[in-house]
Amino acid sequence: MKKSSRRFFGSIVGATVGLPFLSLVLWSFAERWFYPALWPQAWGLRAWRYITSTAGFQVMTAIGHSVVVAAVTAAIAVVIAVPAGRALGQYDFKGKDLVSVLLTLPIIVPPLCVAMGLHLWFIRLGLAETYAGVIGVHLTFCLPYAIFVLWGVFANYNPDFEDQARSLGASRAVVMARVMLPMILPGISVAALFAFLLSWSQYLSTLIIGGGRVTTLPVLLFALMGSGDRPVAAAVSLVFVAPAFIALLFSARHLGNRSLAGVR
Amino acid sequence: MTSPLTTGADARTRKGPGGVALSLALLPALAVVLILFGGGFALGIVQALGYLPGAGLGEWSLAHFARVLSDPDFLHSFLLTLYIAGASTVIAAGISIPAALGLASLSKRSRVIHFIFQMPLTVPHLVIAIAVMFMLAPAGLLSRAATGAGWIASPADFPLLINDAWGIGIILTYVWKEIPFITLMLLAVLRHTGRDLLDVGRTLKADAWQRFRYITLPIIFPALGAASLIVFAYTFGAFEVPFLLGQTYPMTLPVWAYKHYSDIDLMARPEGIATGIVIALVVMAAVILAQVLTKAARKRGLIA
Amino acid sequence: MKRNSISVAVLLMLAAFALAAPSHAATQTPVANSWDAVVAEARGQTVDWFMYGGMPSANAYVNGYVAPQVKAKYDITLRQGPVKDIAEVVGKMVIEKQAGKASGGHVDLMWINGENFRTCKRNGLLYGPFADRLPNQQYVNWEKPSVYNDFGEPVDGLESPWGAAQVVMIYDTARVAQPPRTVGDLLTWIKAHPGRFAYPAPPDFTGSVFVRHIFYHVAGDVARWQGPFQPAALDQAASETYRVLGDLAPYLWRQGKTYPESPVRLNTLFADGEVDFSFSYHQAEASRNIIDGLFPDTVRTYVFDEGTIANTHFVAIPFNAADTAGAMVVANFLLSPEAQLKKADPDVWGDFPAIDPARLPAEWRERFEAQPRGPATLSDAELQSHQLPEPPSKILIKLEKGWQQHVLKGR
Repeated sequence: MKKSSRRFFGSIVGATVGLPFLSLVLWSFAERWFYPALWPQAWGLRAWRYITSTAGFQVMTAIGHSVVVAAVTAAIAVVIAVPAGRALGQYDFKGKDLVSVLLTLPIIVPPLCVAMGLHLWFIRLGLAETYAGVIGVHLTFCLPYAIFVLWGVFANYNPDFEDQARSLGASRAVVMARVMLPMILPGISVAALFAFLLSWSQYLSTLIIGGGRVTTLPVLLFALMGSGDRPVAAAVSLVFVAPAFIALLFSARHLGNRSLAGVR
Repeated sequence: MTSPLTTGADARTRKGPGGVALSLALLPALAVVLILFGGGFALGIVQALGYLPGAGLGEWSLAHFARVLSDPDFLHSFLLTLYIAGASTVIAAGISIPAALGLASLSKRSRVIHFIFQMPLTVPHLVIAIAVMFMLAPAGLLSRAATGAGWIASPADFPLLINDAWGIGIILTYVWKEIPFITLMLLAVLRHTGRDLLDVGRTLKADAWQRFRYITLPIIFPALGAASLIVFAYTFGAFEVPFLLGQTYPMTLPVWAYKHYSDIDLMARPEGIATGIVIALVVMAAVILAQVLTKAARKRGLIA
Repeated sequence: MKRNSISVAVLLMLAAFALAAPSHAATQTPVANSWDAVVAEARGQTVDWFMYGGMPSANAYVNGYVAPQVKAKYDITLRQGPVKDIAEVVGKMVIEKQAGKASGGHVDLMWINGENFRTCKRNGLLYGPFADRLPNQQYVNWEKPSVYNDFGEPVDGLESPWGAAQVVMIYDTARVAQPPRTVGDLLTWIKAHPGRFAYPAPPDFTGSVFVRHIFYHVAGDVARWQGPFQPAALDQAASETYRVLGDLAPYLWRQGKTYPESPVRLNTLFADGEVDFSFSYHQAEASRNIIDGLFPDTVRTYVFDEGTIANTHFVAIPFNAADTAGAMVVANFLLSPEAQLKKADPDVWGDFPAIDPARLPAEWRERFEAQPRGPATLSDAELQSHQLPEPPSKILIKLEKGWQQHVLKGR
């Protein structure tokens, strides 16, 4: 691509991605901003003060809930997905198609349906309104995504290195930790990031199973949004984006040239 | 069947290390899918069929489904949801093809563009819906800019772009969010295979359109199809965006499902669940239909 | 066999997470008899108070004032659970009742009134009666119809009053010099100014009360709906209400094709100049919004000459609450003169007190009288001389459902 057209392409991408954020940042610092002013008429920190002091405890709690749920979901998903991904990526076996279909279903069926179905039984099992319940529901769709990522990773993985290590006398555990893990680490980061982001942005299934007790950030944001207090909604929105964005920055290192293909 | 997310990966599959080891490796994953997902779905069907011991609902019946399907608003809501999901998918896919080609032709040095392009993936739908509301509302940023430029005199002159009958705000939100998703799926494929074949095409003096139609498109088609299906499934079953940016009436099916589910009238709950099941069935039918069409097209040589 | 071991494994896994989840006392211990014993039992409890979360002033009052106070005074940790609509919580309790979860419930206190209270009461979802056991009840005037009756439903000690509010119309003096002073004049004004008025879609609380004002307007007499009335008369008045609102729709904002979904969305439209009026089921909200810079300084409020609807809002304790003692102590603190005075401060919230200042010691009475008012809040005398009662919940629900059918869907 020529330099000029690259600039053009880049600026379109930048503007499209950036404008929504710009509107959020402006609103979060607007003290007074009435139509038809194109720019806030008075700036201030009311919204940020509100979410750090008045609602500070709630926002911190919500961040805590969101982080715990998303991180645990991602960790469990990866731990389960590595052996499954390896089995699917490395070997041909009877019933592989069926497994593939089974794993595809949770990706296409909306979590709404599953959460509504599980709700009553989770209450009876004491799982409703607990981290366990919410993580359980999130796993149903986070896990298949993680498996598909690692499936792709293991499809390109050459196990000959493991054989070499083994022939040099390395134990099974050492082979796993020193040979396999470093090679698939970028894939694991992508899978974990997927699962984390999917869980992080989940609203309705969290609300149904978490029942207002596991108030994650989206649940809180929805409750505060009802207020239509635009500066506050904008500030909470920015808080909501930040951790996921940081996660992307961090994993960008691990990812190298790999992209986030497949994240939604 | 190739998994939708591993298209382009050339599997180095081999004969297994024995059934037991494989089963053990797959067991936890299948347990989660079968028990939590399958169980939830099955329990949903059971409840939608009116079976709810301990709540005076001990009989199996299709009454809840019948009530949902015979509601005069159902068809309206169904068509609206179908239209929003369909339009979002088609527009996002349509923009993603040139975007992926553009990104693929960028040199490795343009990592900043790549990074920016990935950012929407980390943004929850809820947040972008709020931002879209700020920008497109009748007195939003765009309307203020138009007023400043003297094109309109008051917010009432500004076209209704959110909470509108055509779901424009909803579709724009989805398009913004899903373009990077589809594009990066296509990019993964283009990186793997595209270059050499295009060089061959060039040496054979194929023009740009021919190269696109007969080389690029067949290469990206499976990934495009898979990504589009996932986007369609998501947008058909998602709640937040239409709830915030949709019209008061008619509402999309997921909003309807949740409204019924959370109704304080107990009898409305099974109807909510039944609506949820209908959504799931529609999505599954769309996936199966896509598979059938793809197979048919492949047989007739329309696609690779 | 295999299937069994799978499910056992998953249940074990889930049980492991359950341990990591926030723990909570799982049993509902019977609350002790004397108030001192209740206070002693409440010590160290965590009270989860669920309420509508879309009201920044109420959020600020609860989190910034009540929570630290009950912590310092009673060693109670108060956590606010903000929700879009308290009906979500009521719905959740209905499901819990159905699932047989009779104790260890997560919700300890709810901010509630009207139809949600009625639903709770009729379905046995409330703990109590407890209101009469709170020492600060002595300041409440239980003779007042709007206190002993919540939207026509006898309170029966199942909820404790927290505050009172009245509908006011909100307008900007810079835009509308002479606002229409009666409901009839407002209807005329809307038709003369197409697109400049909107109301939130019922069942939104505020949209719903607008419909009830129209109902009172077309039905003429307000008092006849408080006692027994003929169902046919209700049907007739309701149909007339839908007809008036249906005729009005083309003159509303966006020709009535869509409605704001919440009062604050309506406030946004009003602040942005898309519509010329807002209204609030809260007499001091406009002042609060001026202070927060959300409304211009020229905004004022007024009440209709024939009056506007007023009500009392309450707190209630769910049947399966885990921390009933703590919830009762919080409910009692909410009725204390200092908590009520703080709530009445326009800089904080500006809510009407639930207690009757006349019953207070002279010193407190003076402090209530000396309370400053916000720039747009009417005087108590002006408000109280223009109050209308809420109709029974039955009428309210009928109007909400009927509005959906006849006005929104045009059937």
